[in-house]
Amino acid sequence: MKAKLVEKKRKSRDLESDSESDDELGNGLFDGVLSASEDEEDYIPSDQIEEDESESEGSEGSDDEADGDDDDILSDDIPSDIDGETDMDKLRRDAEELEITEPFVDPKPKDEDTEGRNYRIEKDANGGERYVYEEIDPVYDSDDSDAQGPANTIGDIPLTFYDSYPHIGYDINGKKIMRPASGDALQSLLDSIEVPKGWTGLTDINTGNPLNLTDEELELVRRVQMGLVPDGLHDPHPDTVEWFTSKQETMPLSAAPEPKRRFLPSKNEAKQVMKLVRAIREGRILPYKPPEERQREEEEKEEVHFDLWQDEEPSAPNPMHIPAPKLPPPGYEMSYNPPEEYLPSKEEREQWEKTDPEEREKDFLPQKFNSLRKVPAWGTLVKERFERCMDLYLAPRVRKNRLNIDPNSLLPKLPSPAELKPFPTVVQTIFRGHEGTVRSVAIDPTGVALATGGSDGTVRVWELLTGRQVWSVKLSSEDPVYTVRWRPTKDAFILAASAGEDIFLMVPTHSSVTPTLEKASREVLAAGFGYAANGNTPAVAPGKEPAGKWSRPGTRLEDEGVLVKITVRSTVKVINWHRKGDHLATTSPEGQRSSVAIHTLSKHLTQIPFRKLHGIAQTAAFHPSKPIFFVATMRTIRCYDLQKLELVKVVQPGAKWISSIDIHPGGDNLIVGSYDRRLLWHDLDLSNRPYKTMRFHPKAIRAVRFHRGGFPLFADASDDGSLQIFHGKVPNDQLENPTIVPVKQLKGHKVVNQVGVVDIDWHPREPWLVSAGADGTARLWM
Amino acid sequence: MDADMLDAPGAQVKVTFTTTEADLQLPDEKKQLLVPADIKRYGLSRILNSELMLNSGSIPFDFLINGSFLRTSLEDYLTSNGLSLETNLSLQYVRSLIPPKFEASFEHDDWVSAVDVLSADSPAGRWSGDSFQHGNDRILTASYDGLLRIWNASGNIITTSPSAGHGGHSSSVKSAKFLSNNQLASAGMDRTVRVWKYTEASNGASGDLKPTLELYGHQGSIDSLEVDGATKRLLTASADGAIGFWSTSKASAPEADAALLPGAQTAKRRKVNTSVSAAQRGPLNLMHIHNAPATAAVFDPRDRTVAYSASQDHTVKTIDLTTGAVVNTISTSHPLLSLAAIPRAGGTPLLAAGTAARHITLVDPRASAAATSVMTLRGHTNKVVSLSPSPYNDHSLVSGSHDGTCRIWDLRSVRPATQEEGGMGSVSEPVYIIERESREGKKRTVAGEGCKVFGVVWDKLGIFSGGEDKKLQINRGQDVVQQ
Repeated sequence: MKAKLVEKKRKSRDLESDSESDDELGNGLFDGVLSASEDEEDYIPSDQIEEDESESEGSEGSDDEADGDDDDILSDDIPSDIDGETDMDKLRRDAEELEITEPFVDPKPKDEDTEGRNYRIEKDANGGERYVYEEIDPVYDSDDSDAQGPANTIGDIPLTFYDSYPHIGYDINGKKIMRPASGDALQSLLDSIEVPKGWTGLTDINTGNPLNLTDEELELVRRVQMGLVPDGLHDPHPDTVEWFTSKQETMPLSAAPEPKRRFLPSKNEAKQVMKLVRAIREGRILPYKPPEERQREEEEKEEVHFDLWQDEEPSAPNPMHIPAPKLPPPGYEMSYNPPEEYLPSKEEREQWEKTDPEEREKDFLPQKFNSLRKVPAWGTLVKERFERCMDLYLAPRVRKNRLNIDPNSLLPKLPSPAELKPFPTVVQTIFRGHEGTVRSVAIDPTGVALATGGSDGTVRVWELLTGRQVWSVKLSSEDPVYTVRWRPTKDAFILAASAGEDIFLMVPTHSSVTPTLEKASREVLAAGFGYAANGNTPAVAPGKEPAGKWSRPGTRLEDEGVLVKITVRSTVKVINWHRKGDHLATTSPEGQRSSVAIHTLSKHLTQIPFRKLHGIAQTAAFHPSKPIFFVATMRTIRCYDLQKLELVKVVQPGAKWISSIDIHPGGDNLIVGSYDRRLLWHDLDLSNRPYKTMRFHPKAIRAVRFHRGGFPLFADASDDGSLQIFHGKVPNDQLENPTIVPVKQLKGHKVVNQVGVVDIDWHPREPWLVSAGADGTARLWM
Repeated sequence: MDADMLDAPGAQVKVTFTTTEADLQLPDEKKQLLVPADIKRYGLSRILNSELMLNSGSIPFDFLINGSFLRTSLEDYLTSNGLSLETNLSLQYVRSLIPPKFEASFEHDDWVSAVDVLSADSPAGRWSGDSFQHGNDRILTASYDGLLRIWNASGNIITTSPSAGHGGHSSSVKSAKFLSNNQLASAGMDRTVRVWKYTEASNGASGDLKPTLELYGHQGSIDSLEVDGATKRLLTASADGAIGFWSTSKASAPEADAALLPGAQTAKRRKVNTSVSAAQRGPLNLMHIHNAPATAAVFDPRDRTVAYSASQDHTVKTIDLTTGAVVNTISTSHPLLSLAAIPRAGGTPLLAAGTAARHITLVDPRASAAATSVMTLRGHTNKVVSLSPSPYNDHSLVSGSHDGTCRIWDLRSVRPATQEEGGMGSVSEPVYIIERESREGKKRTVAGEGCKVFGVVWDKLGIFSGGEDKKLQINRGQDVVQQ
């Protein structure tokens, strides 16, 4: 053993020197070497490690060989086993071992057989090679580190090799171990000598000497054979030593206080126990039963069925329940013995068989049987029941709750048109005479005369009810008469008309123009000439054209009653009188800066109120009671205070191109017609935005007009040839909103060149409407 | 007849014949009769005319059941009214109507605005007294060209009034009436009323019209003229809202307002040089009682001191002409355009007013009357501008309208108004519709364009109507309404 240690030390030194001298060694290799040496250093006497070493230390072999240690030729097993077992006891014990442990009787040959392959090569899962080592069986008392090395150092070779020699091996010092005497010489000696005590007749295989056993060994063998405890000193029945007794010792063995576990039940154990108890109670742990018994019990266990509905109480049907429709009761044809007429004829049968089962009118053919017992079972019963169930299931019988709201009740409450009578409904007079479009209509303030202006350049006056033309004048041969407007007072009978850049003021011949009235009218018109002649005209900057030139139109027209001509800078399209009849506002959209002009009759004065206009002026009008002036451009309507000379309000109807506006006689409401087909009602007190937007026409709206004689009516005229009459009541109460009801659409005018109705006017007293159409007619609707 | 009844295979209906006509009464025992259910008007008429019943020869009869004429078979009537065959039907028989056959039409140069007739039975004929010779029937027409024309019955113009330069109207004549067989009056858009002396050659082939009086006072077109030959008074309604009461005699008429005379105007206008000068007079009374154009004024047929006027201001006013005061005002719901007084036996007349709302309102002018609006005559499709009561009876009238028709109404045939007609009062529908012959059976134009009727008169000579078609149309007017 010491030698081994020395050897190891030397080896490790070598390794150290190697590692010092040879840096080129791979670390892995070095590690492996180091670990191997470590394994050897804290020596574990196990065969496994030794076997490992025998495998891994192939490289070390050279080192060992260099030592000249002949042990190393052999595997380490045998030398280690035999190392130091010089004494016979060990050998003997080994021999006993061999005998007693039968399976390990000959480990050495097995080891030798499996020299180099004490493992199996198997394929692992990856297909690579895998070394599977046999399990090592560490025999009891394998630790032979204390055993003496063998006296004979020939190694693990049979002694028969030495049969021809006088010695049988070498001892550790290299001295020959001589063969003991044997054979006949000894036999004789033995015969003569009494068998010594402890003689066994066996030969020690290591020494070749007769194996003698000592008394102790013999005693041991005997005890083993007797089945007793091998140790003779062992007392199987010793006296009881009462270490812990009920007696209170005066001097306890230990001064330590008694631990709690001695007198307190263990909680943990109680927990464990309770776990088990619970498991048993719940049936998770069952008492053990042999499988056969268990199987038998399972077989014996019966299947138990439960009636789900046995306790069900009959409840009142759901109010939403709809019972399944009943199948019709069977008729004669379903009888087993139907009357003859129900039986199918041959053709019918063929027909039935030919048709697809899905398309058959009925899914059976009546059959006749002589007696009930000949009726076969109904083949399709299950299928029929199934289909019936499917029908009931797939067609959910649900009562649908309709939302019980009358759609009419959601509409705003508007009075019916019948209650809003009177309003114009039919055309009653047609005024025919103009060539080309009638551009403008106006009913005089007394309500007996109608004035029209047309594209033919004429102004005509008609008897309103009969449609008789009573007066006519041709103002221009080139320009159409764009607009005619009566002076709104009854003290004179004056008509204003525009043709081209000229505005004409005239006194038409009419039955109601008495000499007195005519004189008054002429005086009204002529008054300004005197005013101008007196030099009261404001000084016009030299070289600057006056805004309007007032003149007499010439003898021809003067004879007809046309008395004054005002010439402005561009074509006048719209004329609107002030309510007092002294001012009239004209609008000429092409007139840029001077497009809106205000003419004063009494002074023969034309003024241009605006230096700059925001957009192209479309129309301009006076407020019916206040000194407010409205100017409509294409998009907006501006309200100016004429006294303070300031902008009061900007109304934005949201229309793209305003065609006309009219102000309610009350003055707080405004209607706007636009070429983009909209009619807009503005409440001027409310907002700049329209109170109501109406789209009733598929084409542009050309004119809008309020009734000024007390009827809550207004109308629009459209290019689709129709007029729409509205009931538009403005309540006296400021808080209420105006009621607007469309009451009637009047159709009759023909559309010529995409132009329908151009202008409208209301009768001053009655709900009568006059319209001017592109078809050359004016029409009276009442 | 009995054989007819017995042969009838179908059911029979028990009828009771009644009548209001005294000369056609049946004896009581014959009033009830069983007749076949499928019998119609003609059969019933034959039964009544048969020897066993009235033995009246061949008077055509019409039958009224519950106020409406029987136009179908009795059976159909019963089924449509949901009555059983056992019902005892009360049949009121009246003389049947003959459609107002077109007789003639006289051509004019311009629209005919008014018509009047001088005949033995016309008011003018009665006012003429003995001087009117039977058969010398004359027809007066006023035209929009400002001329008056007098026609004889055969369609020849006897005379035409002089033009404006010779004492005639300077503008359209809207109304003209005979005062007697040698005097007539006219008024028009020149705001004057003119009284003419009419003389006729002995052979009746030519005549002469001379203006005798020019009456000034109105400030608007005179739309209506009513005359009373007996008292020589005129009544006018003008667009200025005034009702004028005039005298036709120079002596009794006051002087005219100088401001209204044509010479009053100072401006340089075309002077009307009148070569023939007639006396210029003013009104006896000019009543500004309407605040809208007055459209018609009529005398009370019974009492010539009472007049009724209608206006576009929706009112009918009763005027006491002696004081010129308004006695009673009746408001209607529509502008009124024409007025006629229908005499009622022993009482104030019933007033028929044509409205701009296409119907005729019958009003009771008595202040005590509970309901002023008695009845509405519906059927016209345009303004009703002329009315004339029947010369034969007190329950029918003819109306002329701008829709181009004249309609004959029987006030006895009534039905309750439907809901859409207002649901109040009773309504009648026309018995006959006289179309304009100039339309030659074509469909009526929109708004009566080209065929408006401006004036209509119903005389025993016939129904005379003039209109926009420049024609005077004469239709037979006898027996178109039951007596």
